[in-house]
Amino acid sequence: MIQIKDLHFGYPRQQALFNGLSVHLEAGSITGLLGKNGAGKTSLLKLLTGLLHPQSGDLSVLNHNPRKREVTMLNDVFLVPEEFYFPPISINDYQKAYAPFYPSFDHAMLDRINTEFELRPDNNLQRLSHGQKKKFLIAFALSTRCRLLVLDEPTNGLDIPSKSLFRKILAGSLNEDQLVVISTHQVKDVENLIDKIIMLDKGKVIFQQTIAEISQKVCFITGTSNDVEGAIYSEAVPGGYRLMMPNGHAETEVDIELLFNAITNGKKIG
Amino acid sequence: METNNSFSIQRLMLLCKQSLIIYKKPIGITLAGFSAIIFIALILAQSAANFRNWDNNGDSTATFIFLFLQFGFIYTCLSFPAFRSKEKSMVYLMLPASVSEKFTFELLTRIVLYIVLMPLLFWLVANIEGIIVHSFIPELANYKFSFRDGFLAIVKNGKFEFWALILTIQGILFVFIAPFTGASHFSKSPLLKTVFTFLSIIAGYGFFVFLLVEGLGLEHIHSMNNRVLFMNNTDSALVFLGILSTLINLSLLSIAFFKLKEKEA
Repeated sequence: MIQIKDLHFGYPRQQALFNGLSVHLEAGSITGLLGKNGAGKTSLLKLLTGLLHPQSGDLSVLNHNPRKREVTMLNDVFLVPEEFYFPPISINDYQKAYAPFYPSFDHAMLDRINTEFELRPDNNLQRLSHGQKKKFLIAFALSTRCRLLVLDEPTNGLDIPSKSLFRKILAGSLNEDQLVVISTHQVKDVENLIDKIIMLDKGKVIFQQTIAEISQKVCFITGTSNDVEGAIYSEAVPGGYRLMMPNGHAETEVDIELLFNAITNGKKIG
Repeated sequence: METNNSFSIQRLMLLCKQSLIIYKKPIGITLAGFSAIIFIALILAQSAANFRNWDNNGDSTATFIFLFLQFGFIYTCLSFPAFRSKEKSMVYLMLPASVSEKFTFELLTRIVLYIVLMPLLFWLVANIEGIIVHSFIPELANYKFSFRDGFLAIVKNGKFEFWALILTIQGILFVFIAPFTGASHFSKSPLLKTVFTFLSIIAGYGFFVFLLVEGLGLEHIHSMNNRVLFMNNTDSALVFLGILSTLINLSLLSIAFFKLKEKEA
């Protein structure tokens, strides 16, 4: 679904951001794009959606060159940017104005998700809070039934109940033929949601594995200072240590934050 | 069903419908604003002519041409409203419609529709204004406005030659197409930047001509041999300027199209 090979990109009068980036993503997953601030997450999402143009390299999204922004690609790609704009109209009018552009738009799904997010059709979009606007945009994005959904920091501005509701709605609204790419630096927000992790650092992919692969290789436990010796990576937490251990035992839930810190500190998990 | 990536009338209609839903209030406010300005401008112009001396053919038409060009310039400077902010640009560029459809929609709503609707609006307001003012100030005897009479008054002293007509049309279109292209190019303050750019180009061209004429002594060429210049009479000058202005307008439209095609957010 997404093929990136030897991609080079940089902003004018700045150091190159991507130097030979290669990524391959298939449908049927929720992929977390993780990285520190300035790692190039948003730029990569914009390259995927054709909002930025690479200097060189191969980039294919749904068998299209995103640069061309062909209708057959735009019909099937929806971007939820971190900062967004809504015209001063009601949710109902927005639906009438934008939904007809998406051939697979699911109106019933939008109504259902809006209800779960406590949004009413007569709400004026410009009078909603930032979090409410974001919830509506996520609801609209899911309802387009686009094969590629690109979410840039989707949980920014959401309150705690809305974050868990977002995870629940997202997990329950996707088909096998869809791919979701979520960029975030708030890794806790996407825990138990993503099934593949891509980590970016200094314009390169430094880590790219599925949650299943990670679980087979390492486990995450809380231990004491005695356990630190055998750990791949450890961090002191109240009451002990969080440890990333070689997996010789049972599979545990992946602690994405610990994994992220381990990888960005140069640790390898094979 | 196979989707046409180049141009679809259905998607163009969707863009129109979307625009009406989003901009219904601003459209209403703009029409009301234009009507009010036309109304006030006519009253001021008529009072300056002491009402009784008002010639509703020539004077009203002159007022129309002045307002038509002023409003048109400002209105077309507001083309591509999505490009005024990064957030709006992203929504616009990601909207599933082709570049040709988005470009055609802007061209239709910013230039073609304006050229059709503005005279109608002026005609309506001028006649309503005439009736109202006449009921209060009977000295305003010429208060019924018609474009036919107005343009006959303008051309009564001479006939329009083909290339003169082309040059006039292209000159009027340039007033709309130049800011249209400027709005596709400049994200912030397109009006000011467009005016500045075109003034710079004209000033640069003027300076270049000055250098040629004064510096190289070209002012003597015509007197030495009037066949050196291909424009040696008014007719050939009109043909040249007519072709040149047409090419300039087509080039500006092409620039606007490719700017939209290559736009990043």
